[in-house]
Amino acid sequence: MSNTTAGPSKVRPGSSQPSESSKRKRGMFQKDLQHMMYGFGDDANPLPETVALVEDIVVEYVTEMVHKAQDIASKRGKLLTEDFLFLIRKDLPKLNRCTELLSMNEELKQARKAFEVDEEKLASTD
Amino acid sequence: MKKSKDPFEIAFEEQEESPPESPVGLDENESQAAAGPGGGDQDMNANVLTTGQSTAAAGSVPMGTAAQVGKNKEEDEDEEEENMDVELGKLRPSGDPTKTAKMQEILSQFTEEQMSRYESFRRSGFQKSNMKRLLTNMTGSAKISIPMTIVVSGIAKMFVGELVETARVVMSERRDTGPIRPCHMREAYRRLKLDGKIPKRSVPRLFR
Repeated sequence: MSNTTAGPSKVRPGSSQPSESSKRKRGMFQKDLQHMMYGFGDDANPLPETVALVEDIVVEYVTEMVHKAQDIASKRGKLLTEDFLFLIRKDLPKLNRCTELLSMNEELKQARKAFEVDEEKLASTD
Repeated sequence: MKKSKDPFEIAFEEQEESPPESPVGLDENESQAAAGPGGGDQDMNANVLTTGQSTAAAGSVPMGTAAQVGKNKEEDEDEEEENMDVELGKLRPSGDPTKTAKMQEILSQFTEEQMSRYESFRRSGFQKSNMKRLLTNMTGSAKISIPMTIVVSGIAKMFVGELVETARVVMSERRDTGPIRPCHMREAYRRLKLDGKIPKRSVPRLFR
């Protein structure tokens, strides 16, 4: 099965990284993707060529998103999370999911902070 | 997407057992479960988290959380410690009670296969470290914040969901069965492109 999306997978033209980190290893997300595809409706054992194809598609998708986000962010300076949120603003399910994830992350951070404060209190009273 | 780092999710999954009998309305449940990744996704997540909150007091959580913590310590040093404590579940605000009840009812009627698929759906996610490395390579060494990896992983996971669901639709049209084959996936990708869900390069890449 020939993979036609092999283009962006290897060397990045604009990258100044040393060679081993600019080359993308095959099967980087293979294990995760297998579980994910099963969860979304594929067979319990997805075909390896399908997984490889999905990985290529996803990496290309993420690459395009990142480049677009960088274009947007270059006007302001740094690349921020908000740039990604701006990109998916039209896609409501994704946008809602991302805002939910971010707020969950914030809550977890707060909770952890509170936990550490409690721990300190306990340690000091002992 | 993200790895399932959510203690509430893990609490929920730990205490969930295979339901005793097959559901009566199998198709209905199947379609509802399949509809999950789409628009109803965020609702389901909110409700499972609420359920996780109520069961967080159960003693079954520490096993799952300890395993998670051990795994997470291997990640980057600025990665915060996750799944620290059961009490975190209590801080979660309660979701919509009707939706929670509905969700629990649906989940109680899942077959074993449906439950395992649902568990895979919830727990699966892209490795944070891999995603971070990929993003760093792409942006050319700008420091990638944790929320950014979370967002990108989330977007990517939903994208995979769209791909797989569209591929299944393609398969049903062609009346194929079995695992998804690359030809279905390519057709699904083509259809998503027509829908405009795939970001296109406005300027064609010259020197590949």
